[in-house]
Amino acid sequence: MKNLLHIFLLAVLATAVVSCGKDNYDQPESSFAGKVVYDGQPLGVRGSNGDVYLQFWQSGYELNTSFNVYVAQDGSYSAMLFDGVYKLVMNSNRGPWVNSPDTVTVEVNGATVKDYPVTPYYTISNATYSLSGTMLTASFDVAEVTAGRNIEYVALMVNKNKFVDFGDGTHVAWVRNESAVPGHISLQLDVTGALNEQVELYARVGLKITGIDQGLYDHKVERVK
Amino acid sequence: MKKTSLIFLIASCFMIMGCSDFLDRESEAILTDDQIFSDQNMISSVLANYYGRIDWGQSVERSTEYRLLDEATQSSGGTDRTLDYGDDLWRVYDYGLIRNLNQFLLGIHSEAAAGLSEEYRSQIEGEARFIRAWVYFNMVRCMGGMPIVYDEIFDYQGGMDITALQIPRSTEAGLYDYIIDECTRIALLLPEERTTNASRANKWAALMLKARAALYAGSIAKYNHLTPDVKIAGGEVGIPADKAAGYYQTAYDACQEIFTGDRYALYQNNPDRGANFYEAVCNKSSEEVIWARDYKYPGNTHGFTNNVIATSVCGDIDANFVTPTLNMVEAFEYVNDRDGTLRTRTPDDADYIYYDRPEDLFAGKDPRLYGTIVYPGSDFNGIPMSYQAGQKYLDGGEWKERTGDINSKDDDGDILTADNGPDRSDAQYVNNSGFNIRKFVDYNRDASTRGRGSDMWFVRMRFAETLMIAAEAALELGKQQTEICGYINQIRTRAGIGLLNAVTLLDIEQERKVEFAFENHRWWDLKRWRRAHVVWNGSADTYSATHYALFPYVVKDPSHAQNGKWVFDKLRSTWTAEYPHRFQQQNYYNFINQDWMNRNPKIIKNPYQ
Repeated sequence: MKNLLHIFLLAVLATAVVSCGKDNYDQPESSFAGKVVYDGQPLGVRGSNGDVYLQFWQSGYELNTSFNVYVAQDGSYSAMLFDGVYKLVMNSNRGPWVNSPDTVTVEVNGATVKDYPVTPYYTISNATYSLSGTMLTASFDVAEVTAGRNIEYVALMVNKNKFVDFGDGTHVAWVRNESAVPGHISLQLDVTGALNEQVELYARVGLKITGIDQGLYDHKVERVK
Repeated sequence: MKKTSLIFLIASCFMIMGCSDFLDRESEAILTDDQIFSDQNMISSVLANYYGRIDWGQSVERSTEYRLLDEATQSSGGTDRTLDYGDDLWRVYDYGLIRNLNQFLLGIHSEAAAGLSEEYRSQIEGEARFIRAWVYFNMVRCMGGMPIVYDEIFDYQGGMDITALQIPRSTEAGLYDYIIDECTRIALLLPEERTTNASRANKWAALMLKARAALYAGSIAKYNHLTPDVKIAGGEVGIPADKAAGYYQTAYDACQEIFTGDRYALYQNNPDRGANFYEAVCNKSSEEVIWARDYKYPGNTHGFTNNVIATSVCGDIDANFVTPTLNMVEAFEYVNDRDGTLRTRTPDDADYIYYDRPEDLFAGKDPRLYGTIVYPGSDFNGIPMSYQAGQKYLDGGEWKERTGDINSKDDDGDILTADNGPDRSDAQYVNNSGFNIRKFVDYNRDASTRGRGSDMWFVRMRFAETLMIAAEAALELGKQQTEICGYINQIRTRAGIGLLNAVTLLDIEQERKVEFAFENHRWWDLKRWRRAHVVWNGSADTYSATHYALFPYVVKDPSHAQNGKWVFDKLRSTWTAEYPHRFQQQNYYNFINQDWMNRNPKIIKNPYQ
């Protein structure tokens, strides 16, 4: 009888040991990173709400399902992947640039860096922010790259955290200019209330293109308090 | 040895039993095609099953989905923190049902159905094809052109070449054309008589579907230039502009055919205009309703009355799941003034306007407001409805509020906060916006209980829509304003408000918003006009993108000249809907599910996907 018990316990133990090998996979260990760029310069986008993302596809399996890699405010993206060949696709018309159905193929093998090139309608450059008293001034250059789309508005926004964009709840104050044309633009925003109420304050400028949901932004966020 | 014999004996017993026909029995639960198609009662049950599977979008069965647009807001429970519209919101992809309908169509022409009369067969064929066209219509307005399978019934056997079963997407125009052509033929099959409670389709329902589909196609053709990126090069999404006039003409002609048929008219049996409008939509004897989803107690009921009824008249603990917004109330015009804004403040915004009774604020409003919404001072089936958020008093020149819990009184025995609220709490079943829905709500108190439910119908098509389609098609075809106003003024006369002598598309949008509130039109209308991203632009500064509430107060301040009068605060109700509605360009068409594309690689993606 005692023997039987021993055999039983041994069997249980054996099962426990064996099952350890079956269901454990290694986690993906190859880092992949890059930026959405035009002319070598990153493009700033809305980083909150998961609005802008790249789809990653991998061929060779029975069923296709993509996964999304979200683009951060400074235009960068990163993911931990298994080694292999991936296809990067931008959802059509999802970003503030000319829609391009092109696929970027990436071979991930260890740490890999690959940028995603796009052609924007407009670019924002040389943005500077200065606070004198309670008046926040931003100046920046807007250049038209691709014709055919008007500027709906340009805006200077401030928020209490580093996410600063057009979305509801991601700016505590903003000023908009709805008649802006490409060239040097300067915007002024009185931030008295925001300075009093918030512990920290971050500023960013953005540009909304008519007919495109996503705005184009300065790729960096400036802390003003 | 003995043991082994015993085992063999038992085993052989089983084998012997298995040989009898004990297990070979006809199923009593599964009916064969022959049994169904030779019996009219069976055929009716099958059809009834189809009729019950075809409501998508807003409906009395899913009351909480009314919070997603601008008609109502989420009162009971916590704040609605929805940010964006889902890529699969109200998406319809029901090829299972289309296959069932095709099997049914095959069955009623099979030998088993040889005994049916020609007339009866033509009617049920018409009904099945009508339901099929309706399913396609619901798909096309969600996703654009989708595969058309016609009468095919595919059967898969192992080893078959499945590429023959994979049908690519039709163009958007192609699918609308198919629906319109089908409706033309269906109208010849179906009888002209009204059906019981408008629950089954007749000739006029087929013509209404034809008119509505043609109107949708026409407005997409005309207005899709406003959203130039919302299209696919192959035409699966987007209709060429030169097709607009043809579609509008089709819609116009279908309406004329319904007018000539002269079977329906606007309901005008009750001299009280407000009550008349409620009855027009909610009374099952209404001669205006062409096609509805009917319900019947016992057995076939829904919980809409239970969910949305006001606290003071509810029959169970549930109430106020969704309640109308102030935006919806203000959309109703005044009888003599097209601006429906409620006058709560003096023109210079210096002071409140003081009202003797709460209903005085709504004096002179479009009577349809009464028929659609329960507002402060109105009644519910004769019971006066009181809404009071609190009391106001002046303190050093500033208005202050005294509020209490729901249904509370102050020390003098005066009401602080009424049982209907409104307040801003997260509590369940509490009114947060100051109104309740009346349309589709049953006056029968038992209907508001969980156990019983309501058998109020849900109207899918009614004659007022025929008039509105005729008006819009005539407008787009450039007909005389006298003709266009003629259609729309019939509706305004019945409603009891001022007539129009010139109509624009914005007037049509306005009229449809109030006439068809809660009838599952608004979302589809704003989409086909390509107006949704403008109306729901995601900005907290935009009135139409945000939800507002109306909080009534009684002035209780003996030192004040207006003591005892009513004042009203209009408030953006961030406690019911925190974020403004943001309709993005990608929301004009639902995304295609990846799983469908894996099964049928010929299906291509929609824009922004």
